[in-house]
Amino acid sequence: MVTGSVGECSINEEGSIGMFSFAAGLLSVLLGAPLTTGPDFAREVRPVLERSCFPCHGPERQKSGYRLDVRAIALKGGDSGNAAIIPHDAQNSPLFRYVSGDDPDMQMPPEDSKTPPLSEREITQLRAWIDAGPSWPDELAGTVAEEAPHWSLQPLVSPAIPGQETNPIDGFIQAKLAEDGLAPSPEATRRTLIQRVHFDITGLPPSPEEVETFCSDPDPAAYEKLVDRLLASPRYGERWARHWFDTIQFADTHGYEHDIIRANAWPYRDYVIQAFNEDKAWARFIREQLATDYFYPDQPEMTPALGYLGAGPFDLSTYLTAGVTFDYLSRDTLVTQTMSSFVSTTANCARCHNHKFDPIPQTDYYALQAVFSGVIKGDLAYDGVLAVKEERGRWQALRAAAIAKDRDALLTPDNEARIRDWLTARGAGATWTPLDVETFQSTDGATHTRNADGIIESGGARPDKATYTVTGTTRLPEITALRLNVYTVDRLPEKGPGRHDNGNFHLSEITLRVFEPGELNPLELTFTRATADFNQKDWGIEKAIDGNAGSAWGIHPAVGMPHHAVFELAEPLVIKPGARLAIALRQVHGGGHLIGAYSLAVTGDPTAQVAALPTTVETALEIPDTALTEIQRVERAASIIHLVAVDGLAALPPLSQIYTSAASVRIPDAGKAPKLASIKTPKPVHRLERGNFNTPAELIEPGALSAIGALPARFSLANPQNEAERRAALADWIASPENVLTWRSIVNRVWHYHFGRGLCNTPSDLGKMGGTPSHPELVDWLAVWFRDEAKGSLKALHRLILTSETFRQSSQYREDGATRDGENRLLWRQNRHRLDADAYRDYTNAVTGQLDLTMGGPGVAHFTQGPGAQLTPTLDYNAYDWDGEGAGRRSIYRIVWRGIADPFMEALDFPDLGLLSPQRGFSASSLQALTLYNNNFVLHRSKNLAERLAAKSSDLNTQIAQATGLLWYREPNNKEQDAFREFTGKNGLAALCRVLLNSNEYLFVD
Amino acid sequence: MKTQKTTAFDRRNFLMNIGGGFAGLALAQMLTEDAAAKVPFHHPPRVHRVIQLFMTGGASPMDLFDYKPELERLDGQMLGPKEKPDGFTAPAGALMQSPFAFKQHGESGRWVSEMFPEQAKLVDEMAFLMAMTTKTNVHGPGTYMMNSGFLLPGFPCMGSWISHALGNIADNLPSFVVLPDAKGLPYNQKGCFSSGFLPVVHQGTVINAAAEQPVPDLFPGKTHAFANRDSDPAGLALLDTINRVHAATHPGDSRLDARISSYELAAKMQLAAPEAFDVMREPDYVRRAYGMEEKHTEDFGRRCLLATRLIERGVRFVQVWSGPQGAVGNWDNHASITKELPPMAASVDKPIATMLRDLKSRGLDEDTLVIWTTEFGRTPFAQAGTGRDHNGGTFVSWLWGAGVRSGVAHGQSDDWGYKAEVDKTYCYDLHATVLHLLGIDHQRLTVRRDGIDRRLTDVHGNVIKEILA
Repeated sequence: MVTGSVGECSINEEGSIGMFSFAAGLLSVLLGAPLTTGPDFAREVRPVLERSCFPCHGPERQKSGYRLDVRAIALKGGDSGNAAIIPHDAQNSPLFRYVSGDDPDMQMPPEDSKTPPLSEREITQLRAWIDAGPSWPDELAGTVAEEAPHWSLQPLVSPAIPGQETNPIDGFIQAKLAEDGLAPSPEATRRTLIQRVHFDITGLPPSPEEVETFCSDPDPAAYEKLVDRLLASPRYGERWARHWFDTIQFADTHGYEHDIIRANAWPYRDYVIQAFNEDKAWARFIREQLATDYFYPDQPEMTPALGYLGAGPFDLSTYLTAGVTFDYLSRDTLVTQTMSSFVSTTANCARCHNHKFDPIPQTDYYALQAVFSGVIKGDLAYDGVLAVKEERGRWQALRAAAIAKDRDALLTPDNEARIRDWLTARGAGATWTPLDVETFQSTDGATHTRNADGIIESGGARPDKATYTVTGTTRLPEITALRLNVYTVDRLPEKGPGRHDNGNFHLSEITLRVFEPGELNPLELTFTRATADFNQKDWGIEKAIDGNAGSAWGIHPAVGMPHHAVFELAEPLVIKPGARLAIALRQVHGGGHLIGAYSLAVTGDPTAQVAALPTTVETALEIPDTALTEIQRVERAASIIHLVAVDGLAALPPLSQIYTSAASVRIPDAGKAPKLASIKTPKPVHRLERGNFNTPAELIEPGALSAIGALPARFSLANPQNEAERRAALADWIASPENVLTWRSIVNRVWHYHFGRGLCNTPSDLGKMGGTPSHPELVDWLAVWFRDEAKGSLKALHRLILTSETFRQSSQYREDGATRDGENRLLWRQNRHRLDADAYRDYTNAVTGQLDLTMGGPGVAHFTQGPGAQLTPTLDYNAYDWDGEGAGRRSIYRIVWRGIADPFMEALDFPDLGLLSPQRGFSASSLQALTLYNNNFVLHRSKNLAERLAAKSSDLNTQIAQATGLLWYREPNNKEQDAFREFTGKNGLAALCRVLLNSNEYLFVD
Repeated sequence: MKTQKTTAFDRRNFLMNIGGGFAGLALAQMLTEDAAAKVPFHHPPRVHRVIQLFMTGGASPMDLFDYKPELERLDGQMLGPKEKPDGFTAPAGALMQSPFAFKQHGESGRWVSEMFPEQAKLVDEMAFLMAMTTKTNVHGPGTYMMNSGFLLPGFPCMGSWISHALGNIADNLPSFVVLPDAKGLPYNQKGCFSSGFLPVVHQGTVINAAAEQPVPDLFPGKTHAFANRDSDPAGLALLDTINRVHAATHPGDSRLDARISSYELAAKMQLAAPEAFDVMREPDYVRRAYGMEEKHTEDFGRRCLLATRLIERGVRFVQVWSGPQGAVGNWDNHASITKELPPMAASVDKPIATMLRDLKSRGLDEDTLVIWTTEFGRTPFAQAGTGRDHNGGTFVSWLWGAGVRSGVAHGQSDDWGYKAEVDKTYCYDLHATVLHLLGIDHQRLTVRRDGIDRRLTDVHGNVIKEILA
């Protein structure tokens, strides 16, 4: 802020009055440089502004955060983030453009406002004023009262605990209640407490036996023991993972137009459940989810944590056709999710302009985008076992060294030993037996002839593309590999071996099929490896067996000489007498890239002996080690080590996959092979004027929010091109003990789930537009305690809350409380909870004896699936068989289809995961009633429950008592007993179960 | 009207806050969908009910309503952008004239192609937006945008906002009904009818017009014999009794009462819905007029007739979709306008015209608005021979009914029909206008969400006064 004593201030081209420009202005005065003079501000400019602009941009109102009564803001501009006045350049100053009518999209004052517009003369004056400086005297500069930071941004200090309560929580809560003349409610009964705490911690009901045991436990610490037991149960992680998934909109499918399954999303779900169950420290949880690859490379088993970065939606269609739009929107979901879930900040509000309410400049938002500009959503392949990861790394390095013919890396004692072993296994090499050819033909009009040496030649008119098919037999009892020889012939261009004008050919794919004797349908065999004596650059022999007809093997420029290639079978093929082999050589590159002359041979020798080697290496094999030249030694090592490394890699267990955002991923694309997407170095991110992709402004470096004073807003990175470092820097920024938002956010979020609302009732927005905290001191005390004392242990935080008197209060209505604090913000009672969608399903499976506690693994489909119009399938939730496998699994394990929600779950307010969902709604509509009453799940489970009751006792009274015991944890009273008897007599026990499963006493937890 | 200083809180509470404490939630709020409108309007409404006809895939403006003689002159010339614009599925081909004949119709002299002979007869009753534009050339975001005003998922669509703001007219039917094409759901599946962050009661209730059970769970399925016409009402009566006893011992919790009422309303809906859904109750000639007897108009005709019946019975907002997502059977005519557009046009033209006449004959035009729209237009450039690619640059929508100025056209595209040129309108303006007709100021219908007072119209939108009566 400018508070200098110089009479006038000149402004730099950014329109911001920084120290530098200020000094420069001062300098120009001191040096006596001529100062241009324009209209007088006080006399000629300010009155006009006052009349025409102040009504909306003055002391009373600041629309779009802009005001013309304060110099700094008048120059710097409002929420748009753009300078409003550009010195010496009225024509490009938005202020001038708006009032002069030069901007077609913005006219000030607005046409329909009552404020008089500027006259022609006044417009001319304004222009002259800006062009001449502008000069704006200090005495009229105006000031803005320095506002105290918003509560959530204030330094985090632990306040004194009021009162003498054992549990500090009760001290804070009861002190505030006392101020309002309210007393807390008495402790709930044990019967209520066990139900409440089961629901809260595990999302599953206690059994009637557990209830009775707890109620009759004489131990005064029975409740604390119960809490500890439940927190130690794996059911806890299953329950609380769901809360986190709502918060970050984690689902199993893309959403949008192509709403297809992400087959590799579920390991993240299991990771989160495990993280909660293991009570992972919060800072560590943050770091693992954002950048475990960077922080903990020696624990690759943690890689599924990165699933956090793949939680949100993905628009495949926009990705494929509108790359620029995609990049910005895709990163936007990551920025929004990260800031919302970890620091409860609505950074995305600053996409188009500076945040209107919170101190978040637009540049902060784009700095966060830059954090994620090196990643894209998709499947990341990884090794989950360190030893395998390291071994893969070693083989990959060797393979790379072989390709690069890196002398130093190749000629090591280890490799010499590998080469010796390899040569021993190879021995004299394989013996090849020519195929006994029966038929041979070419498509597309070329002639095919076979000469006396058994060489097949292609002649006649040269087609563009062709496929050669050869059938034959062999007397070998089994074969392990196939060999293709190609020959030079004088009549071919450049003597061949190809028919293309330059002597080359392109073998797109080679296939081998076997017709067992008497069989009409052949068996197609798989080649595991192909080797050749020569490979054209980028046209290697492996392309002939990659299943992709778009790539091929070629030999240019080594034309005019014969070549050969060897194709190894996955397993030896036993040749039954009469079996026929059919070999197809697809050559579909076009342009007449066809083989001119060739023959085929087979061998039954072990595959260790068969590989084709470059001619130079073949020659080198004949020479004793000591007589080899250095070049020969390197060539030999390169060929052999390459083969050994490829074998080594093939022998490793397959890579695991996790759906995340990473620099190099495969994008699930329904039935087709997933597409590989790579971002070599992070893409440059620009601030976008008004958030518009078409108007990029300055380049922005990676960083986070500038509002946390104690932490630098822009990262200093050792290697800014390493995208992982960017994510790690953000993780460090979030997880820092200095980040006051992080610690307030998590304790408030946890509180929200224990009481049904947070101390601040907007758990993902602690900013000015969020809720006002009812007990800000308690938030702060909890935040500091959680960070420093509990060391980020969620279970410690749960235990503290759950054992407080505040939590244990009765939820019963009290006239005095309702009168003074109807919304129960002060917590004079506990809040009653309705079973959420997941809990309703899990409870109902549990009480009807259908609960299946299998943990982990791929998601369970609670629907039947059919083909859709394009990639998105059709789902039928009503057709699902509730006796089917996985029908009793906990809801956390069901497949959540982002765009095709389960109508049953929706009816109970399961959120739309197109959006982050930090809170669940509550509704009670007729459609919900119809769903609960008629949906097949409830009907089926009613039947299950009736059967279960009938199996235990044939006495109706007992059955009824057991039903209410399971669902209501109590005996029916006489009136109920009579009514239920009568109803059951007419309609059956299952019909009664259906009614009870719809009852409020079942749906609500006191 | 006097300007009143309203705080964000006032505005929030004005139209039911969803994020508030549940203890404070009034019964009516939880039952908005079922409750009759109790909310004061911002100004007197002209419209109480809305039918929206949505042509999935991007209906081609220059082949239907936006006549472009310039394309006839330049047909076959490669004048389009050299580089593939973001969102085109392929580089632009040559300019292509419409293969269909255009004629002027009505006193307004509106140009309509031979594809819409029936709607052409009614152009004097319609108001056209000739230069609508959008921010994307991609179906998913485009369909979101035309429904919710946002390119991203998770925002409430127009029907949900209206249901949220005004509730229902009748208490025995849902307030917002969606009638998807029998061939399947549109792009984004049910995301297009989502209530986003509004309570789930405001999401579109999908009615599968041709199915045996048009609304799932309206009645129990046949699998479980114990759930039947005798036990159903008896069970509801018993449930009511036990829930009331429970509520009496748990006072001060309006949610318990809301759930009790919800079952009463459910029973009402069970009575009303089968009658409303049963288009066979309409006389033969009505069904014929809607095209239900002809194969190509059968599905859309049935759903237009159903829309009329639902509107007549007090449903607030009905959305009728033409075409599912995907490459075929919708308006996404990439391969051939000549082959792909005529069957789509024929499937909707007669049903639409009949519906408009029928609404009038039933007197529903007094307070019903009909909107015809799509997610974007198509390129004046050819694709794959005689197809056209996606084009968010300009497209046409029309409005009909109460409060609409008849026979006007607002806006103009450029000579090729590539971009909106004069008086362009966005979905924001259309949405603002629809809300305006319903008595709602689009700037004051807000819900606080993640730090923003969210609106259907985001931070944009102007009521298009030029098309209002």
